[in-house]
Amino acid sequence: MATVASKLYSDDGSLLVLLLDTNPLFWSNTSTTFSQFLSHVLAFLNAVLGLNQLNQVVVIATGYCSCDYIYDSSLTLSGNSESGRTGMPALFASFLEKLEDFIVKDEELIKEQEHDERIASSLLSGSLSMALCYIQRVFRSGHLHPQPRILCLQGSPDGPEQYVAVMNSIFSAQRLMVPIDSCYIGTQNSAFLQQASYITGGVHHAPKQLDGLFQFLTTIFATDLHTRSFVQLPKPVGVDFRASCFCHKKTIDMGYVCSVCLSIFCEHHKKCSTCGSVFGQSKLDGASTVSEKKRKAPDS
Amino acid sequence: NQSREVKEIDLLRLRYFRVINRLWSFFFFWICSNHLPPHSLSSKAIPLESRKMPQVKIIAKNFMDMVASLTAIKLDKLYNNVFICEAILRSLPPLAKKYVLQLLFIDDPVPCTRIEEWVLPDGLSKHRVAIDRLIQLRIFTETVVDRKEGTCYSLNPTFQKNLQKHIISGGVLPREPMNSNNGIKLPSLQELETYALLQWECFLLQLINSGQGEKLTGISSSMMKVFQRGLLSQRDRDGPRLTESGFQFLLMDTNAQLWYIIREYISNAEERDVDPADLISFLLELSFHVTGEAYNLNTLTDVQITTLKDLADLGLVKLQQGRKDSWFIPTKLATNLSVSLADSSVRKEGYVMMETNFRMYAYSTSKLQCEILRLFARIEYQLPNLIACAVTKESLYNAFDNGITSDQIITFLQQNSHPRCADRVPSIPENVTDQIRLWESDLKRIEMTQAHFYDEFPSKDVFEGACNFARQWGGLLWEDSKRMRLVVKSEVHNQMREYLHTQGK
Repeated sequence: MATVASKLYSDDGSLLVLLLDTNPLFWSNTSTTFSQFLSHVLAFLNAVLGLNQLNQVVVIATGYCSCDYIYDSSLTLSGNSESGRTGMPALFASFLEKLEDFIVKDEELIKEQEHDERIASSLLSGSLSMALCYIQRVFRSGHLHPQPRILCLQGSPDGPEQYVAVMNSIFSAQRLMVPIDSCYIGTQNSAFLQQASYITGGVHHAPKQLDGLFQFLTTIFATDLHTRSFVQLPKPVGVDFRASCFCHKKTIDMGYVCSVCLSIFCEHHKKCSTCGSVFGQSKLDGASTVSEKKRKAPDS
Repeated sequence: NQSREVKEIDLLRLRYFRVINRLWSFFFFWICSNHLPPHSLSSKAIPLESRKMPQVKIIAKNFMDMVASLTAIKLDKLYNNVFICEAILRSLPPLAKKYVLQLLFIDDPVPCTRIEEWVLPDGLSKHRVAIDRLIQLRIFTETVVDRKEGTCYSLNPTFQKNLQKHIISGGVLPREPMNSNNGIKLPSLQELETYALLQWECFLLQLINSGQGEKLTGISSSMMKVFQRGLLSQRDRDGPRLTESGFQFLLMDTNAQLWYIIREYISNAEERDVDPADLISFLLELSFHVTGEAYNLNTLTDVQITTLKDLADLGLVKLQQGRKDSWFIPTKLATNLSVSLADSSVRKEGYVMMETNFRMYAYSTSKLQCEILRLFARIEYQLPNLIACAVTKESLYNAFDNGITSDQIITFLQQNSHPRCADRVPSIPENVTDQIRLWESDLKRIEMTQAHFYDEFPSKDVFEGACNFARQWGGLLWEDSKRMRLVVKSEVHNQMREYLHTQGK
């Protein structure tokens, strides 16, 4: 595989993996309804597929506690025989059917789960890993494939407990040279998505209004990787680099870092919970608690 | 009388320099090779060399130029068909596609300057290409709404409406496939692809050795003549022979070849009383059918059915007949038609392995591919699935004689290199590509420049002045200061003469 820092994209054929946020806890209290949102997204998918015959779209739904493949344009092309039945084009019929099944299943899972204090976040880490797995399979299938990229359409807030998994996915994407674009439609800002796009060289954008979502999607996110080298795209204004600690899953901007495995903690521990290294008592600890310097004592 | 006098004075002036004055037909051969030191012949130095080569190309990509050259009325009529709108959209350069998409739901004309702001400064040339293309295809119409804003562009309303509909409601098939349960046995995709390739290769083989070949395909000989026009030259004694463009045609990839043939087919349409616009729209529509599905022939017009029969001979569709109806099954060649309209690179598994010792192994069973390799390599032996050949100086000289350039050979090798080699950088060993280029430049040692020769200067000063003058104009090719002679490019001759006139006064 090529290990050049910046890949050269010879054509505009693209494989778009769309991570669609279906979190019911988010969609139940927004100004736009989920169906309005979907109509924008479906038009966008049609536009992407229409741009190039080689373009391929994969949609992965990100639920509250599960995620699943909803649609793969390479599969439906060969067997869309039941399109006439519902009176809808093939893309929508299978897409909506699967999406409905998924949401029902996801909701059942929510009921089963004991969720007391969990933030209403979606399982972004899961869908990111699924997207990367899919892309990895495409890479291994030979060298004749459209250029892959991931687009996260996320509205729910970040779940700090997914920090490690999300960061791992981001770094794998970076290694695979797959840009992660992100479109954040929620009210807060998402540090995960900002970091994901920043690290992988994708585009992050948070539209203020959702009425013209289609225009945002086509203007910014339909741009293929080849064209990106010569068009104006939104640049990151500032990236929220805050991390979550490994012990209490809190978002922190200062903390303790294990010098062996770089795990992050919000308070001082005797032993690293990740790699098991034993920490000594910091000399500075007594003097200033603010200092986030960390020392590892030689194993005794 | 007076005029004669003037002439005489003129001649007097010129006498000193006595420009050898059968000038206009005088050629000076300028030895231009051996100027580059050997080490500079690395791959970086080569573009300089290759720039001089004549670029004879038959381009298949400009099918869209043909569409663009249709009359405005016909073009607008074409846009009534959703599939053509989409095929045209797909054929556009990436930036143009982006513009169309961005303006799709905007009804008011957008100022040109606004669109220009969407691209980075280095993309400006691409921006111009995109805009030109859009205007050529009448997708963009120029309007001047108000002086301040300058030219504005708006999308062709029919095109816009159709594309909007397409994007909102999703892709619809041009026609419904037949129900698969009433006794139709469809070939598998694999079978269909082999069928298509076999058919296409048969056609190509027939195309290149029309003389001896038995009749393989059902294409009428008059049609074949049309295709062969430009590719084969008819010599009196030794039968038809491939022309330069014929050789280049063989080295192109399948889709490019296909488009070349289709273009010939369409340009010939008028002779067969078929409207080219109808043909174009049918072909583009065909590319939106699903590969491997059966479509009933009774949904087509008569013209389309005759066209379809010709296309079946090319391997674009497979015709089958049942008890009651007959149907056609589009193959990959047909559905890929709109892919190759864009400038996208070739997507095909290669089969050639080139080694540093100039030996070439081609994993192929195809007779056609063997013929193609024979164009520039010596076939040594053939195993059931492997062709072993060697690239030699003689075989390459043969190719160069036939008008194939080293660049074409190298691109062919690169495009068709085996997946295992294609991963390597470079996919073709550097010593081989360099040697191919060197052998070609060996044949091109001499370059002719039309020039004029001056001698018998009256004095050293005049001579040196003339030399400097020629140098300033960049036209000095050679000078011999001892015997006061110099050679100057023809372009500069007029200036030179004027200069010498003024000196002579």
